[in-house]
Amino acid sequence: MPDETTAVATPPHLQLVNVWKRFGEAPKQTVAVRNVDLSIEPGAFVTLIGPSGCGKSTLFSMISGLLPPDSDGSLLLNGKVQQDGALLGKIAFMPQRDLLFPWRTVLDNATLALEVEGMPRRRARAKAEALFPEFGLGGFEQHYPHQLSGGMRQRVALMRTFLFERDLILLDEPFGALDALTRSMMQRWLLDIWAKHRRTVLFITHDIDEAIFLGDKVVVMTARPGTIKCEEAITLPRPRDLGVVTTPEFMAVKKKLLAVVEEESLKTFAAASP
Amino acid sequence: MNARALARSPVASVVYVAAAWLVLVPLFKVQPRYLPPLPVVLADGLSVWPDLVAGFWRTLVETVLGFLAGVVLGVGFGIAFSASRIMERAFLPIFVALQTVPVIAFGAIVVIWFGNTIMAKVVIALYLAFFPIAVNTLRGLELADPQRIALMKSFGASHLQLFLKLALPTALPNILIGMKLAVALSLAGAIVGEWFGDTVGLGVMLLQALYFEQIPRVWVLIIACGAMGTLLYGALVLLERRFVWWRTD
Ligand SMILES: Nc1ncnc2c1ncn2[C@@H]1O[C@H](COP(=O)(O)OP(=O)(O)OP(=O)(O)O)[C@@H](O)[C@H]1O
Ligand SMILES: [Mg+2]
Repeated sequence: MPDETTAVATPPHLQLVNVWKRFGEAPKQTVAVRNVDLSIEPGAFVTLIGPSGCGKSTLFSMISGLLPPDSDGSLLLNGKVQQDGALLGKIAFMPQRDLLFPWRTVLDNATLALEVEGMPRRRARAKAEALFPEFGLGGFEQHYPHQLSGGMRQRVALMRTFLFERDLILLDEPFGALDALTRSMMQRWLLDIWAKHRRTVLFITHDIDEAIFLGDKVVVMTARPGTIKCEEAITLPRPRDLGVVTTPEFMAVKKKLLAVVEEESLKTFAAASP
Repeated sequence: MNARALARSPVASVVYVAAAWLVLVPLFKVQPRYLPPLPVVLADGLSVWPDLVAGFWRTLVETVLGFLAGVVLGVGFGIAFSASRIMERAFLPIFVALQTVPVIAFGAIVVIWFGNTIMAKVVIALYLAFFPIAVNTLRGLELADPQRIALMKSFGASHLQLFLKLALPTALPNILIGMKLAVALSLAGAIVGEWFGDTVGLGVMLLQALYFEQIPRVWVLIIACGAMGTLLYGALVLLERRFVWWRTD
């Protein structure tokens, strides 16, 4: 067993090596993502922040296998290089919009991924039903999406993602459309869920407070063409509650990140105006 | 149901039209050639009641069979068109051209093929019903949201799963629009089919009434056809409300 020794050191859960994504042909080419190197440890909660249009969603499309990265880079899952499309079905991906199916009840929306996997409907439903109280949706099993508030729809989409039991979860601005109060509740709730289920989470946000509050590590992207600007480890103790945002440690990190993000956002504006 | 809801229901509008007919025709002394009085029309209808019921039943069967066949073929071709550009390129122009052929000309050919059988009427009804269903099915299937497709793919969905769980439900409201257009057309098709010769059916009775200039009979048949069309359309609306109530956003 020659590779026993190499396997002992656990590889990063996800590793991006020199990942690029260009759209279109040479003269009118958009470089959405350039030279991204990133590695994420198993069980970590990593938040990704960057100006609008810097390629965050594009990065997620590549990680979930929907979009092949350009051939100069590679994606590794648990240390293994993934060919184009090989990641489809291996990663729990929650897109920016909730994308619930209007003709399905809340319960049937939640079990969508399980159905696709071929789990019998009865078992899938039983499994989802057990999660309803935890997701604050008890009693809404038989409602339809149009009968729910924005926050509830978002929780249904989250539940659908969680029920698709994969070790790596990608969340693209899950709370972007929520008001401040609901958002802060959902953040604490998400941390509880994460502490209980312990999956690896990669979380996109525009909000620096949210990035620091949730993350073990904050990754900042540059303006388009997006690449990694810097990574900041967040050592705030867990479990975190609301009070943490007013601590000096939090403030110090926030100040540092604000400066970096501001610089990049200004670049986006400068590029947009002649 | 309270009085106001009743006053706005479809039944009420039938009553309004009947009342207007009853009152206005004698009031303005309308010549029976243009519009006979309602009691005369009703009396004429009663005088041929058994024929009328038999004719109604026969035409209904032809219409429904032609419509159902049109649904099956229309949805089938709509799916085939959306699955394969080549199919669409090859067949859709032919179907469009066929649509411009007058139904009378097409009907003559069908009768030569099938004789004066019920099959001939069903085929003519099908011919008219098929096209709007195929076009609306194709359009509906193309409405499937690319982001939802991406989501399903990220779950590892197969082509069949994508079709059954996403594309088809997205298309259903449009398919129903096509069906609602088609049901009236299949009734027209069945009636035209009967004109090529038969002994039973509303179309047969209509042709005879025209030949003998029985004006009240013509009105009886207009009412009968209208009732059948409304009945079929209403059934589709109920079906839609019960099973296809969502809208594609
Ligand atoms: N399919 C595509 N074809 C061409 N260009 C694309 C495509 N997808 C994305 N882009 C471009 O890539 C860039 C990055 O887009 P992306 O959606 O990844 O940004 P983002 O960081 O998620 O932005 P936001 O924070 O606003 O959601 C944009 O300039 C966009 O126009
Ligand atoms: Mg985005």
